[in-house]
Amino acid sequence: MARHPDTDLVPYLRGELPPAERERVARHLEECPDCKQDTELLRDLLGNLAHAIGQPPTVNWARYRAELREKLEARRAHVGWWRRPMPVALSASLAGILLFVAVWGGREMSRPAEPIGPDEVVMAQELGLLQDLRTVERLDLLEDLEVIRNLDGLASDHQG
Amino acid sequence: MEPADEALCERVARRDEAAFDLLVSRYQERAYRLAWSILRNAEDARDVSQEAFIRLYETAGSFRGRSKFSTWFYRILVNLCLDHKRKHKWWKLWVRDDDDDRAETILDRQPAPVNDPVDKLSREETLKALGSAVDRLAPRQRAAVLLRVQEDMATYDIARVLKCSEATVRVHLHRALATLKKTVEKR
Repeated sequence: MARHPDTDLVPYLRGELPPAERERVARHLEECPDCKQDTELLRDLLGNLAHAIGQPPTVNWARYRAELREKLEARRAHVGWWRRPMPVALSASLAGILLFVAVWGGREMSRPAEPIGPDEVVMAQELGLLQDLRTVERLDLLEDLEVIRNLDGLASDHQG
Repeated sequence: MEPADEALCERVARRDEAAFDLLVSRYQERAYRLAWSILRNAEDARDVSQEAFIRLYETAGSFRGRSKFSTWFYRILVNLCLDHKRKHKWWKLWVRDDDDDRAETILDRQPAPVNDPVDKLSREETLKALGSAVDRLAPRQRAAVLLRVQEDMATYDIARVLKCSEATVRVHLHRALATLKKTVEKR
């Protein structure tokens, strides 16, 4: 005897099998009393299942649709800001700002550093004066840069 | 002549509110009943079926018409139900609030009229046991059984809803019905 057509029985009962398969299952059922009995049980079971599953509690459909509409509206309102359509003027302004920042920032990044001028070199050399801050704070002659420039010499003369 | 579901879905994709309302009216009872059969809780069934309609509204543009609208919509619904069950599984172990719904419906079930009260009681008990056994089936087996029994769907359509092969659906149904048969035979 061929294998039992277990998984074919439900499609057989529903008349879904192609003619050749249907014929094969029908022949098997004639020869196999167990499968025939199974098929009858399945038929009863499928008939009873609808009653066994039952019906859900009743629903007020108008209220159901009103709730659904509210939920749909709430969903629309909560669409993320990045997914919302943006006014054309706002989009264009944002794009312009981004473009300006990108071009200006790029130019700034690519510009070479300015060379140090001779005045700044002199000032940097003179900053050595500030190493003795207490002395500098007591001087009353700071108005004249020439005096400050000669301080080192004055100090050495005084010590010497 | 009433417009076909598929044509309505195309209109929903173009944000036609009247077409959406019409589809909701056509499917609300079936969607709610199927969700309830899987979830066994009226409030959850209402929420999940409404969510399925919202998804329908949002994704109507992705319906290509390769399958029937009902199959496409049931796929959304069943997936939401199975997801809901998966997410709330741990919670249901603590709060069995779905028992109330089932108790009501068992009383409401209408067995075939019989004269013998013993037979009637026996039949009611058998149906009750059968209903409980359906609740204990694996989620995809249960979905396959419900789509077959409640929605009278063909194996081909169930396979499309559950996104599996027809052979897999046949196995789901065979195993589910074998389990349910044992429940009946015990009684």
